[in-house]
Amino acid sequence: MHIAEGFLPPAHAIAWSVASAPFVVHGVRSLTREVRENPESTLLLGASGAFTFVLSALKLPSVTGSCSHPTGTGLGAILFRPPIMAVLGTITLLFQALLLAHGGLTTLGANVFSMAVVGPWAGYAVYRVLRRYDVPLMVAVFFGAFVADLSTYCVTSVQLALAFPDPGSGFLGALGKFGSIFAFTQIPLAVSEGLLTVLVMRLLVQSSKGDLTRLGVFLAGKQARTRTVETETVSR
Amino acid sequence: MLPIDAAAHSSRWRRRHPVDKAVLGLGLTVLAISLPPWPGAALVLVAALAVLLGPAGVTARHLWRAYRVPLGFCVTGAATLLVQVGGPEGLVGPAAGGPVRAGELLLRTSAASLGVLLFAFTTPMSDLLPRLVKAGVPAAVVDVALVTYRMSFLLLDSVRRIREAQAARLGHTTRAAAWRSLAGLGATAFVRAFDRAARLQAGLAGRGYDGTLRVLVPEARLSTRFVAVSVALLAALTSLTFALEGPLS
Repeated sequence: MHIAEGFLPPAHAIAWSVASAPFVVHGVRSLTREVRENPESTLLLGASGAFTFVLSALKLPSVTGSCSHPTGTGLGAILFRPPIMAVLGTITLLFQALLLAHGGLTTLGANVFSMAVVGPWAGYAVYRVLRRYDVPLMVAVFFGAFVADLSTYCVTSVQLALAFPDPGSGFLGALGKFGSIFAFTQIPLAVSEGLLTVLVMRLLVQSSKGDLTRLGVFLAGKQARTRTVETETVSR
Repeated sequence: MLPIDAAAHSSRWRRRHPVDKAVLGLGLTVLAISLPPWPGAALVLVAALAVLLGPAGVTARHLWRAYRVPLGFCVTGAATLLVQVGGPEGLVGPAAGGPVRAGELLLRTSAASLGVLLFAFTTPMSDLLPRLVKAGVPAAVVDVALVTYRMSFLLLDSVRRIREAQAARLGHTTRAAAWRSLAGLGATAFVRAFDRAARLQAGLAGRGYDGTLRVLVPEARLSTRFVAVSVALLAALTSLTFALEGPLS
């Protein structure tokens, strides 16, 4: 789902960078405040970034028999919250562009917007809404990861359709073309990522309950509402 | 260590200042997407290849291994421009001017990728990241990126060893076993990452950690001559593109 280096025309590359900038700046401010208040969190955030990088390198068996890799945005957003994920996602995408030649620097803004902004926010919103209504943790985790993955691909389709409108049917035709190509592989992959995220979370509940409690993962119902209000207040 | 970063550490241009290499590598990338694909991107592609295999000293084998990944994405991405939706040919048919658009896109993405590879193959991340503070990136973000960078290799190594252990215990023989193993791998990576962070924190606290990670950065001076030659090359490529655009179109 990474848009390759040089794939977007300059105007599009700049426009997506501008669109991503407020979210990344907001994330940077949250991260800087967190590090100032708790200097030791630098190491935990670095570990979280490394975990996100490694997660995106895992090979995921897909229903079609081929392999792909999880975006990791859903799990990352549930564990570390979307503003932090905007920064960690940007760092991860920068490393992928320079260390793996995966993605690119001119397309970094577009990739950040789909994978580090829309994916985490959409997945986290679904997860948080479900938890507010006391939906079981694992069901909320599944739908959070599923929506995060799928929304990432939808945004990528829009980005490509805007850059390369179909000669016959324009933007909508191109959106249908890119969307249908992605749908064949990505809907099964989104289901796969949702299932994998549930399995990972189940193991984490058994082995790292302390870390998950500190990250606020277990909050539900009224507590979740309070947590959301607290998070929004702190963000401001 | 990942192959591109390992090659960057032993690069002929390792001691050059990252800004020198950014002007050349990223300058070529910007030209690749800004100039007309024919002949602009084609000229940039040839120039980037010549610099990579010549003065930068990147081996053809290393370059191919790194380049085939973006090239694969470029080819599959460009292939979608060959068809159009709707029209007299039916629901899906060949796009008018599709091969030209696909060819131009392929040229542009290939040339742009080589420009970034030129920078990546000659500049280790450990040289680049600490200098981002001078470029205005907040120190807290750079510190997090540094920890992420250093911990990624340890985690990737752990993941590789865990996967080998799972395979040795027949953890990938059936689909169900493969899913269990994959979930275990993801969860173990999380646990290991947080465990390493906690131990690193304890170690640094014992050495008077105050929230700032101080690392030694190899000294390098900005070379006016290198930058001037790079800018001259970029200017020559731009001039040549506009000079040849008419006759070759």
